[in-house]
Amino acid sequence: MTFSLERPETVGEAIRILSDPSYAPAVPLAGGTDLLLDVDEGRIPARTVVSLARLPWRTLHWEGDTLVVGATLPFAKLPAEAGVRTRLPGLVDAVEAVGSLALRHRATLGGNLGRAAPASDVLPILLAVGAVVRLVSASGEREVPIGQFVRGSRETSLARAELIESVAIPSAPRSAYVWQRVRPANDVSQVGVAVAWAGAPGAWQVALGGVLPTPVRVAEAEAQLPNDPPTAAEIDLAARAAAAGAAFTTDKRATESYRRRLVSTLVRRGFARAMAAGGVP
Amino acid sequence: MTGPVALVVNGVPAPATDVPDDERLLDTLRWRLGRKGTKEGCRTGDCGACTVLVDGETTLSCLTLTHEVAGAAITTIEGIADDGLGRRVQSAFAEEDALQCGYCTPGFIVAVTGVLAELGPNATRESILDALQGNLCRCTGYLAIQRAVERVRGGTP
Amino acid sequence: MIRSDAALKSRGGASYGLDLETPGMLHGVLVPAPVASGTIRSVDLSAARRAPGVVVAVGAGELAALLPHGGDRDRPVFPSTQVLYRNQPVAAVAATTLAEARAAARLVRVDVAPAAPLLDIEDRYPEWPTDLATNAPGVVAHVLARHGDLDRAFRSAEFVHRETYRTNGVQHVALEPHACLAEVTDGTWRVRTTTQTPFGVREDAAEILGIPPESLVVEGTWVGGGFGSKGAAFLEPFALVLAAASGRPVRVAFGYRDEFLQDRTTLPAVLRFETAVAKGVITARRVRMMLDTGASLPGRDFATGYAIGFLLGPYRIPVFEMEGYAIRTNKPPFGPHRAPFAPQCVFAVESHTDSLARRLGVDPVEFRLRHVWREGDRTALHQEVGPFGATAALERAQGTIADWRRTLPAGTGIGVGLGFWSTSTGAGGEVRLRLTPAELVIEQAEHEIGSGSIVRGLVAVAERYFGIPADRIRVTNSPTSTAPFDSGVFGSRTAGALGRAIEAAGDRLLTELRSRSGATDPVRLESGPGGFLVVGGSSRRPLADLLTVEERRDGLVAEGRHYGRSGAIDTSRVVEGSFYPYTDFTAAVQVAAVRVDRETGSVKVIRYAAFHDVGTSLDPRMVRGQVEGGVAMGLGTALTEETLWGADGRMLNPGLLDYRVPTIAEIPPTEVVAIEGFLGAGPFGAKGLGEPPIIPVPAAVANAVTDATGVRVTELPLTPERVARALMLL
Repeated sequence: MTFSLERPETVGEAIRILSDPSYAPAVPLAGGTDLLLDVDEGRIPARTVVSLARLPWRTLHWEGDTLVVGATLPFAKLPAEAGVRTRLPGLVDAVEAVGSLALRHRATLGGNLGRAAPASDVLPILLAVGAVVRLVSASGEREVPIGQFVRGSRETSLARAELIESVAIPSAPRSAYVWQRVRPANDVSQVGVAVAWAGAPGAWQVALGGVLPTPVRVAEAEAQLPNDPPTAAEIDLAARAAAAGAAFTTDKRATESYRRRLVSTLVRRGFARAMAAGGVP
Repeated sequence: MTGPVALVVNGVPAPATDVPDDERLLDTLRWRLGRKGTKEGCRTGDCGACTVLVDGETTLSCLTLTHEVAGAAITTIEGIADDGLGRRVQSAFAEEDALQCGYCTPGFIVAVTGVLAELGPNATRESILDALQGNLCRCTGYLAIQRAVERVRGGTP
Repeated sequence: MIRSDAALKSRGGASYGLDLETPGMLHGVLVPAPVASGTIRSVDLSAARRAPGVVVAVGAGELAALLPHGGDRDRPVFPSTQVLYRNQPVAAVAATTLAEARAAARLVRVDVAPAAPLLDIEDRYPEWPTDLATNAPGVVAHVLARHGDLDRAFRSAEFVHRETYRTNGVQHVALEPHACLAEVTDGTWRVRTTTQTPFGVREDAAEILGIPPESLVVEGTWVGGGFGSKGAAFLEPFALVLAAASGRPVRVAFGYRDEFLQDRTTLPAVLRFETAVAKGVITARRVRMMLDTGASLPGRDFATGYAIGFLLGPYRIPVFEMEGYAIRTNKPPFGPHRAPFAPQCVFAVESHTDSLARRLGVDPVEFRLRHVWREGDRTALHQEVGPFGATAALERAQGTIADWRRTLPAGTGIGVGLGFWSTSTGAGGEVRLRLTPAELVIEQAEHEIGSGSIVRGLVAVAERYFGIPADRIRVTNSPTSTAPFDSGVFGSRTAGALGRAIEAAGDRLLTELRSRSGATDPVRLESGPGGFLVVGGSSRRPLADLLTVEERRDGLVAEGRHYGRSGAIDTSRVVEGSFYPYTDFTAAVQVAAVRVDRETGSVKVIRYAAFHDVGTSLDPRMVRGQVEGGVAMGLGTALTEETLWGADGRMLNPGLLDYRVPTIAEIPPTEVVAIEGFLGAGPFGAKGLGEPPIIPVPAAVANAVTDATGVRVTELPLTPERVARALMLL
């Protein structure tokens, strides 16, 4: 498929192009590491590709205890930023699980969210820490909790001509993301598990990736964790509850029964890793 | 759509005209600018054969739109030896037999140069290998490449 | 000695198939069959012909006008009736740009009456095929050999151990895809291509096109990895047909997705063992094999009679029966993949060998030493075993295992695998030497594929034969129209066979120089500052003095050839089919140390050691490179690599994300040991080393996993899920 490339310099211009029928179908482009392949194969119809590279969104800053990541910041920039490794260790685990370093030099958090892949390594930790997606469109700005933002496999609640501007990620010094793959390096995770302490009793949050069409929080598991720190027995109950959930996917990467096994193991390991991360903001 | 792009390749302006909007940097380098040292592999970002440096960062040229890197400093294998580190990496690959068929070699040499520069002299061996896992080699089994990396770092291979 | 291609390749200066271009060339794109099996009703090229930029579109209907008799009937360029596998090329288009050609190819309407494809050999034969003739449905080859009274041996055994193993398909994943550039002018067909065997492509493509081989010129390029994938005609016939039809040069190049979908490689197999044991030794074995050979033609199966011999191992087994079936499925035809099918067979037989040792409570290496061939032994088909380093390699491995048992952490599993290989295929080759006062030029047909067999191996042989330094020796290659014949870079035969040809040519050169110098003793060369000297007895003369003016410029020329002997087998033991006559055995013993994650089934190889019976090491650096590379590739076969097929014949993982080759992060520290002195048929007793390093890897890893866990995984690859299943976690 061939397409025209637009490289707007302002958010307004980007939104105008995306809403203008004469450019349709038009898709926004962040790093392009995932999108361009789908455009090439015709899986995403695109007459116009709107590059967001010139927009002022290659940013990263703290708003109090919340890390705000601009939509077009390449993943590779994230772990190096002061404080991220200690205040959001689970996010660093997840970001470093994405592709190779060269890929992370271009791939972005905004792009990953916009593509909403079932096996995204980043979505589970965003769910577990309760991230909020900040969107912008012609009708203004709005904030959508990550759990509502992802609607299905490759499906988001983005309206037409609406863009992800940034993601607000509450810090979680005790958080972790752990995964299992056929090949450890540079593979798609069969299962990913994120756990995070959200700062209040009863607020351990657990999210799973790769097991359903979208990453999910597992309330059944979280309900087993009233105390902080949780006991080994509580974690064990949570692991079992997480693995007992709805029908998991069977596909070329893993069978459902193996995924259940992995979920229960990885929930335990996720807690071990999150508690070891320790630290107080 | 097509348009001109003012590329800077290996420190030299390399203007290209009539570059289609959807053209990848890989194809511009190889077919428009005749710099075929950058190799075409999977075209899906999974093999690393097409690695170049864009403003010093390892970049998969197969997934990069040419128009997106207008004005950026692009370093390819043809220019990697312009810099002392790149030159050392290049000769270490030869000295350690870190190449066989040679097809992954340009991308690997560029990647090693970029990674060593980015991670700095205090990087751990593990973090360097981790940063190179996107570059596939089917011939050497990677151990000779690891020895080449160590040779450049001045450690024990 | 740094290999002579290192400088060029490390600065990106080597030109590969994909780099080929010429002014005015067209881009050819193949049109894939939309189903895996069926009868072709029509292939409508009209819309494609009208598409922008298209110069020609060619299908089966056009072949008669382009090729004498329309080409080979058995292997047509495009099928006219039956689709044999999904994505089989049924037509091709050539256009001014690649994008136009791709767009036009999508406009070709291929109408096929679909039939149910056969993808899984066990679907066709869920019960073992017994008493099948070669013409039974789907069976393209049947081999059977036996010796001794199997029933009696089984009856008198202390126990008979039965196991079934399964292996899956693996792909080559040479980093460079296939690509070629063809031109047809004035009755000369010419193709530049990335190939392991220019002459092989010439013979094969000429046969497919129905033209005399001499009318086709094949010129090689640097080869970005072969591993068997570039050993026969592949894209060349399509490019040549498009060039003939268009009168223009045509480039046809594959992308990785095409490579995965069309790869002719190792396919799945089922391997069954029944082994009788008495008094701690194997007394008899029956092995049976079903091998998926894809869309291979009857009579063209090379794998069955060749692979099955591995299932007896390099072991003395007095009574045996071995039977193999090659079964046709709707996948691309089976093709050679580095040591075709040996890593899979050796995985099965060496896992089984370990099972026997465990059942007997005998140390696995000790158990192997009880049975392994020694020089002078006879194989199952009664071939004599020559110098064979297996015992020496096993003994060295014992030391390593003992050392690792002491030093590696508790819970580490250690496993051994013993592979063997036949390193002189009988495939011949020729070289032309050109000696000037300044340098020795080795003219030959092959292009370097990576192993170093050409750029370093041939130089190392000449260096040692003539006693002159490597920097005075140069290897050149030329197209099939002028190069001396050679069979190809495959079968671990290249440096061996061409090396022996260099020796033969060298003998002629030195004989000629001796006669010219009038020396009474044999002469040799010496390298001096002013050029070569011819030295014999007390005489030392500048080479230049013995050459004519023309020879000083063009060199004194001598040709040499080497056609290896092929081993004889005892046909009285063969009941049906053809068995491969192995010769010049080499042994490979490897030891793996693994950690197994008992909750997820993940296997991590933490240490590795490889002991290789190399005969004579021509260059230790090349030995190390071949072994390290082969081990890494074998780790993929062992742990992560497998092709997955849907019920509709679609390959489910045609990309690097789901077909997982090893990365730099998974390679263990590896010790490489060359066992020298058991001389082979190559120059100075060298044995080939291109393929042996991959052979024992899955076996060593699988046996290490069993050592760590107590359970045996009976199917390759040992993915975490398969290991978890064996651990009964699921």
